[in-house]
Amino acid sequence: MSIVADQSQNNDSGVLGPTEQGRRKFMLAAGWGVVGATLAGSTFAAYKYLFPPILYEPPTVFKIGHVTEYGLGVDERWKLKGRFWVVRNMRGIYNMISICRHLGCTPNWFPDQKRFRCPCHGSIYDVHGNVRGGPAPRTLWRGQITKDPVDGALVVNTVIRLDPNPAQTPQGLWVKEKVKEVNPFWLEHAPPAGGSCSSNRLLC
Amino acid sequence: MENKAVREIFPRDAKKSYGLVELMKGASPIVRKEPEDTVYTWPNLIMIELICALLVTAALILLVQFEHAPLRSLADPSTTPNPMRAPWYFLGLQEILVYFDPWYAGVVLPGMIIVGLMIFPYVDTNPKGVGYYTYSERKFAVFNYSFGFALWWITIVIGTYLRGLDWQWYWPWSDKLAHMNPALVTLVPLHIVFVNLLHVSKDVAKGFCDIIFLGYFAVGMLIPYFFMRKFYDSMGAGRYITFMIFFLSMMGVGLKIILRLLFNIKYIVVTPWINV
Amino acid sequence: MLEKMKEKVVQTQLFKSVFRHGYPDNELNQAYVVFSNIFLHIHPVKVRRSALRMRYTFCLGGITLFLFIMLAVTGIWLMFYYTPYTGLAYKNIKDIQFVIFGGNLMRDLHRFAAHGMVLFVWLHMTRVFLTGAYKAPREFNWVVGVVLLVNTLILSWTGYLLPWDQLAYWAVTVGTKMASYTPFIGQNGPWGAQLGVNPTNDLMFMMIGGTVVGQNALIRFYVLHCVVLPLVVTVFLAVHFWRIRKDGFSGPL
Ligand code: HEM
Ligand code: FES
Repeated sequence: MSIVADQSQNNDSGVLGPTEQGRRKFMLAAGWGVVGATLAGSTFAAYKYLFPPILYEPPTVFKIGHVTEYGLGVDERWKLKGRFWVVRNMRGIYNMISICRHLGCTPNWFPDQKRFRCPCHGSIYDVHGNVRGGPAPRTLWRGQITKDPVDGALVVNTVIRLDPNPAQTPQGLWVKEKVKEVNPFWLEHAPPAGGSCSSNRLLC
Repeated sequence: MENKAVREIFPRDAKKSYGLVELMKGASPIVRKEPEDTVYTWPNLIMIELICALLVTAALILLVQFEHAPLRSLADPSTTPNPMRAPWYFLGLQEILVYFDPWYAGVVLPGMIIVGLMIFPYVDTNPKGVGYYTYSERKFAVFNYSFGFALWWITIVIGTYLRGLDWQWYWPWSDKLAHMNPALVTLVPLHIVFVNLLHVSKDVAKGFCDIIFLGYFAVGMLIPYFFMRKFYDSMGAGRYITFMIFFLSMMGVGLKIILRLLFNIKYIVVTPWINV
Repeated sequence: MLEKMKEKVVQTQLFKSVFRHGYPDNELNQAYVVFSNIFLHIHPVKVRRSALRMRYTFCLGGITLFLFIMLAVTGIWLMFYYTPYTGLAYKNIKDIQFVIFGGNLMRDLHRFAAHGMVLFVWLHMTRVFLTGAYKAPREFNWVVGVVLLVNTLILSWTGYLLPWDQLAYWAVTVGTKMASYTPFIGQNGPWGAQLGVNPTNDLMFMMIGGTVVGQNALIRFYVLHCVVLPLVVTVFLAVHFWRIRKDGFSGPL
């Protein structure tokens, strides 16, 4: 069987009858349709194949001890293991993910300048995570911070992140502290004894 | 040679689709070219290629006596080397990322460079200058290529020699070990400049910026249309529009870099979705 | 004496079965050697004398090709000791660099030939541009060339990750994060979030097989770098050379 089968339809001049023509057109369209469907199906399968449904990635939940273990200001002790900073100010405690919001490098904290600065393209953030310079298009993420109901220790989850829309201001990209001081990204706590925010007024 | 060449006229056979056309005297099957012009590929060209390959190998082996492939410390997500420099051929990209948001500098612009290069043969309608080096016969094309090329290489030079700690601008004579004070570099969107200068509201200022941005493209599109009619006519509308979009974008990238370096302008247009 | 030995060798059945023609010291065999050899037949049998002058192509395309071949060879040597596993890759590279005989040389050659290939592919493109060799009928070969250029850059970038050192890690972190800004299909791109794109279904996730650069990224880049991209380049090179012969060479060749 081939497409040229039905000879009875062919008259002497070799011109195909209308039924045969229609049949051929249909077969051609069907053929291409099957080719197209096969391609589309395998493209979709290939696309699915590239998205593993199971991941073996570094841990994202950390038990970081009690509030009283942290002094005023930026604490870097979890940066190595957990990629986040713990910041305590006069009103409470929060944490920020140490991933630059530009292209994912790890910024450095400069206590003397009171700024986080990124070595890749020069983004600059203050202790609130607001963008003070450079190409970063959003403010630093805040990670979830809660209290363990059993022993009261702080628990940080770095995949649950707070990311409000920043406003363009003359100082840079800005999100009001009120917007960020919300459950579960913020814990209220009295300032440490004798603590003073005179060194960095943003901690007030 | 053309006149002397024809020895006989061979009548065409009506039943055949082919026929003998003419007989020529010569030592080569190449017609209408001086036969002395050619030499055998083996050994003449092959030897040149071989020598080329040997020279390159020798140069590389010489090079690796003095320079070694770099190997830094083990990958560590918690610390980024300061400054983090991409390999030289990506430094242009890294530098552009300072001036534009990542969706533009990292995705759209590289895409436009690639597509722009690909379409070049299709928008360049000048038939002259094939097969030899010439500037005078195709000034505009050479200018375009050189401009893009220069932009690319200048940003590579900036990335290599003028960027230091925290990816700040360091002159060759500045102290490369001291972190620069970030208070000196505050970037503002253009509309904030207007707000401060002209005391208009933010929305009006944003309107100005949109007009400047769209005006740049509109005026850029119209100038050659009205004042360089020949240029427009030689391309036709389709080619012209395609070319001008790429051309104006390329120039725009240069302009924005200048605005940033001289006036600390962060964005020209600010919209809820994208900022340029 | 040498001449006689050559005569003998050329007459053997083995030699004839391989080459099908005598030693190329006369015009007939010089023609045969080029068009009966699969590697040499990308050349025409004869070229114009002026083509031997170097001041047209500067052999830039040829050098690029040679560097590509060199990368394939040195790369295979490196593969004998390299494991694409985050716990071993860095150690393997250290071994190659400091312990294995000749490993140092292979690694250095591979790295610098890669730099060289990027440089020469740019120079070659510039030469093609300046001689107007991209104009009709060679427009399409220019497009093929751009594909080769992009592939060369991606090859360099994927290879950059394999040593799993700080340079590698951050270049790829930054590079793939850029993909996450792709409009519509990146989690950070314009109109990405609005379309429901998130860290686990965007382009960056597809590239690195996870949400952070890790084992999946390393193995993906390894496969791309050692198998997929070299094959793609080879296929496009075949088209490139075929088209040079079919479209005719622009210059005095
Ligand atoms: C893997 C990279 C590449 C290799 C190995 C390669 C190789 C070559 C070689 C050996 C030639 C013969 C002439 C010469 O040596 O200049 C050639 C010609 C050519 N190449 Fe490439 N090339 C590469 C990439 C490119 C790129 C990036 C472009 C342009 C975008 C390009 C466009 C052309 C064109 C149009 C010709 C024909 C030139 C003429 O007729 O004068 N190639 N290529
Ligand atoms: S990654 Fe931090 S500035 Fe680009």
